[in-house]
Amino acid sequence: MSETDAKIPSGASESVPVSIPEELKDTVTLTTLDKAIELLSSAVDPVANWARSNSVWPLTFGTSCCAIEMMCVGMSAFDISRFGSEVFRATPRQADLIITAGTITRKMAPALVTLYEQLPEPKYVIAMGACTVTGGMFNDSYSVVQGVDRLIPVDVYLPGCPPRPEGILDALLKLQQKIRTESLAERRKRAYRQRAVRYVDYDTGRPVEDLVAEARMETAEALAEATGYALDHQVRKV
Amino acid sequence: MSEGHEPEKAEAKDELKAGPFGQFLEEHGIPSRRLPDSCGVETIELDGKHLEAAMKRLRNSHEIALNFLVSVAGVDSPETYDSVYHLWSYSNLNELVVKVRVPKASVPEDRLPLVPSLAPFWPAANWHERETYDLVGIRYVGHPYLRRILNPWDWEGHPLRRDYKQLVDALNDKNQFSMR
Ligand code: SF4
Repeated sequence: MSETDAKIPSGASESVPVSIPEELKDTVTLTTLDKAIELLSSAVDPVANWARSNSVWPLTFGTSCCAIEMMCVGMSAFDISRFGSEVFRATPRQADLIITAGTITRKMAPALVTLYEQLPEPKYVIAMGACTVTGGMFNDSYSVVQGVDRLIPVDVYLPGCPPRPEGILDALLKLQQKIRTESLAERRKRAYRQRAVRYVDYDTGRPVEDLVAEARMETAEALAEATGYALDHQVRKV
Repeated sequence: MSEGHEPEKAEAKDELKAGPFGQFLEEHGIPSRRLPDSCGVETIELDGKHLEAAMKRLRNSHEIALNFLVSVAGVDSPETYDSVYHLWSYSNLNELVVKVRVPKASVPEDRLPLVPSLAPFWPAANWHERETYDLVGIRYVGHPYLRRILNPWDWEGHPLRRDYKQLVDALNDKNQFSMR
């Protein structure tokens, strides 16, 4: 009994993809529904994608100097609304696109991941500026994340320090092309695996995963100690 | 201060005579040591235990009136940890730099250098001291809330120290030729 109990913590951490057993193959499952949707989507996609690509609403997200150019492209001189992106939304739940305009620091990283996860699918990312592509001139700094692609998947890279507003428009057009040509299946394939909306526990500032792992380890230790299988733990303590 | 510092102190005293602010402090019985001017601004070194009294005198006296604390900064010098205070007087339009230096030899390993805090009587120092603690690792004794302010709360080490080495993890391994 003690052995099985002690194994639970380590075994439960892996999530296995669900496979359909043989005897259930011929019943109507979600997969067959999916197939139907996929068939339908070949007819619907061109229209849906056309509509989608012409109304990519960006999130108001600017963390440093690049944000000035992003504001500029929203104003009348460059006027991003000519391409259907006129509304900069202040909440991720109403946006389709993050233009990560500015340096991302380690302290900002959990916030960016949370924002990205709160965007409804389909969601797109333009990494704007050298800082979000590679870390830019703060590449060597202790506090800077070397590119947002370390945190979230990026669709269009837009280098420059800062990129000109025309550059942003170009990136947007590239993104629109990408949206027009992709199908539902393709989008599914590269779908982002949601980690958790509360990626970080805001009380302790630590990732929830770490807290859970710690609790698991403590449980395992307590179990092992209670049943006398404490040899390797004792070694670790010394 | 350790014994090794005494002769050096005496020499420097011969070289540099106390400036107006140093004289003022001496009149009030607070010993200070003049350092070479920084950009034409009088610079004095104080012992940690006189810091609070000196700061209160400089701030409250009518003729000196150094009542604006511009910044509190930290320096990791080769031999010492310096806590640097810049004071400004709007009525006299002049400036003073005060340093408290803690010799590295006197700081035990795994401990941070201790400097008395100004925050209890000078709120402007509050966040500056937190920042200095965060980046240079000087512990201000008596600070009401000495926590990291710029870096995430669980940061290891103090990034502006000379001996700071950052771990390479998934967020910063892109540049192989990093100077870190
Ligand atoms: S890429 Fe240049 S302009 Fe953009 S945020 Fe970085 S430093 Fe600023």
